Amino acid sequence: MSLVELLRTATRSVSANKFRAALTMLGVVIGVASVIAMLALGNGARAAVDATFKTLGANQIQIGQRFEIQDGKFEPVGKKLTYLEGLDMASNAPLVERVEMSVSKSVKARYGRNSIEINANGVTADGLKGLVSSGSVQPVTWDGKSPLTEGAFVGSGRFFTLDEVYAGVSVCVLGYQTALDLFAGDEPVGQVIWVNRTRCTVIGVLAELVNTDLENRYQSDPNKALLMPISTMIQQLFEEEPSVYMTAHIVDANRIEDARGQIATYLRERHQVGKDAEGNFQDDFDMTTRSDILGQQQEAARTFSILLAAMALVSLIVGGIGIMNVMMVSVTERTREIGVRMAVGAEPLDIVLQFLLEAVLISASGGLAGIVLGILAIPVAASLNNGVALLLPGSIPLAFGVALLTGVAFGLFPAMHASRLDPIEALRYE
Amino acid sequence: MRRTIIYTVNLTRNYQVGDQVLPVLRETNFSVRQGEFVALMGASGSGKSTLLGLLGLLDRATSGEYWLEGLAVFTLTQNELSALRGKRIGFIFQNFNLLPRLSAWENVALPLSYQNGNYSQEEQRQRAKEALARVGLNHRLDHYPMKLSGGERQRVTIARALITNPAVILADEPTGNLDSRRGEEIMRLLRELHQDGSTIVMVTHDTSIAGYANRICTMRDGVLSEN
Repeated sequence: MSLVELLRTATRSVSANKFRAALTMLGVVIGVASVIAMLALGNGARAAVDATFKTLGANQIQIGQRFEIQDGKFEPVGKKLTYLEGLDMASNAPLVERVEMSVSKSVKARYGRNSIEINANGVTADGLKGLVSSGSVQPVTWDGKSPLTEGAFVGSGRFFTLDEVYAGVSVCVLGYQTALDLFAGDEPVGQVIWVNRTRCTVIGVLAELVNTDLENRYQSDPNKALLMPISTMIQQLFEEEPSVYMTAHIVDANRIEDARGQIATYLRERHQVGKDAEGNFQDDFDMTTRSDILGQQQEAARTFSILLAAMALVSLIVGGIGIMNVMMVSVTERTREIGVRMAVGAEPLDIVLQFLLEAVLISASGGLAGIVLGILAIPVAASLNNGVALLLPGSIPLAFGVALLTGVAFGLFPAMHASRLDPIEALRYE
Repeated sequence: MRRTIIYTVNLTRNYQVGDQVLPVLRETNFSVRQGEFVALMGASGSGKSTLLGLLGLLDRATSGEYWLEGLAVFTLTQNELSALRGKRIGFIFQNFNLLPRLSAWENVALPLSYQNGNYSQEEQRQRAKEALARVGLNHRLDHYPMKLSGGERQRVTIARALITNPAVILADEPTGNLDSRRGEEIMRLLRELHQDGSTIVMVTHDTSIAGYANRICTMRDGVLSEN
């Protein structure tokens, strides 16, 4: 029998039992839908990790206070990481070129009658350098060719110096929009503004900036800025000293592990870190590099794949057994039909193909329905997971292929069984 | 002298029941020439249906030879048997054995659809139409078996047996499920086919039905005898 005729025969007998076919394909539908949705979750998670990845350069080490679960709560352990430790790090760990730190707080800034609510940032004297090297913003007036210098980011006045940061001098640098909001066109440099209850001299205004990555919706407006020395901000505006999150920039990316050692030695000395019974340091800080994140990502991806594979396997086996069951019933019900087809010249292969095609038709329909359901389930899965889920385009052919394979694998036995019936007995079957 | 269609030499069929070997057909020598209409009579269990199954290539003999149109059937493979059955044998069953989901013409064309792509859908329909016309059912082409009377169903079965112009038509109690009037109609139709040149071997236990044949053989305990 030609493939077209076989397909027509299979379509006919599947559609003659639509409800049964629909119930049968349910297992495959759920299996395929979960493959699509789970792969989308994994894909979304990977995209999120990739985004973090971009912000952490190959020559950077992130340092933060260690958190551990204590009495069911996620609590910081040991001593805080202070901004002073950050300021002194470069001179104690020779491989560290500079350390970026930042604290932020929502404040009320006032000049004369103008007052605004704004998120103030405490940074180091390298804060401007960090802004330039991040590449995420650029001056509006930049021609796109000449090398971007720190100077190009300053509209008027200057940025604060390392000495001013060490001394905790009460100075600030305003973003372009912030300056307009407070001074309404007057010259801000040299004027004194109030930040909450602290007097603060404006020493500079940033150039007007734009975000370079327009797709990133999570960026704040770079022109609504109020920058202060981190020391001044912590001393004047914080009730207690916060633990600071630092990014150490290393001289040479190839020596990042050496730098990690230097930083650890420095911080252990400062925090007087002791050793446990086995002679390991009981650090109260954690360091993260790009390769750490990569390792975690691979670990997570591996765990995830195993979980996904197990889930897909179980649901598709259940779906496949459903198909096998229904096909066995179908073969029994149609024993006479099989006998007749054999009597009019059907070869065993014709019978095998007929029933196999029916099974594949059911599983393929289930696969298509599962793909649709899976795509519809992606937003639901994302919301349940508090995260992003992104359809992985490759998951559609993969899921469909697996559905087809299920049909073949579980349809084969009933089909072979049908083709081996004794025609005489089949014709007499009641 | 007419051509020999069926020729068997010591054809034997034993069934294995537990440890016992049950001989159902014993060393049968049977031949049918072209154009003959043979009635095989006998009580149930006499082996007549077993012989029909062997002649129809649905079953394999335990020993002996079977030649169909000069072809040594006992040497063929399973697939060769299937192909030969589809092309050279036509079956008429007591319980019609039509496929309920196929229309009358599709049932009739079924043997053609298994002859690997030799016939297009249109050719199949045309040939089925001609075969149905021969049994007087050309107005019932698209009816499904459920909508046909018993006599009409048996005519569709006969049309299906005719469509390939087989070497022999094998009929197993063709009137067994019909009342006597419909049964007579069917037998008259078979006689017409016989008069048109078809070779027919029919199994029956009814002497009045056997009277339509031009040669009657009787089976008893697996042994065939000519009347």
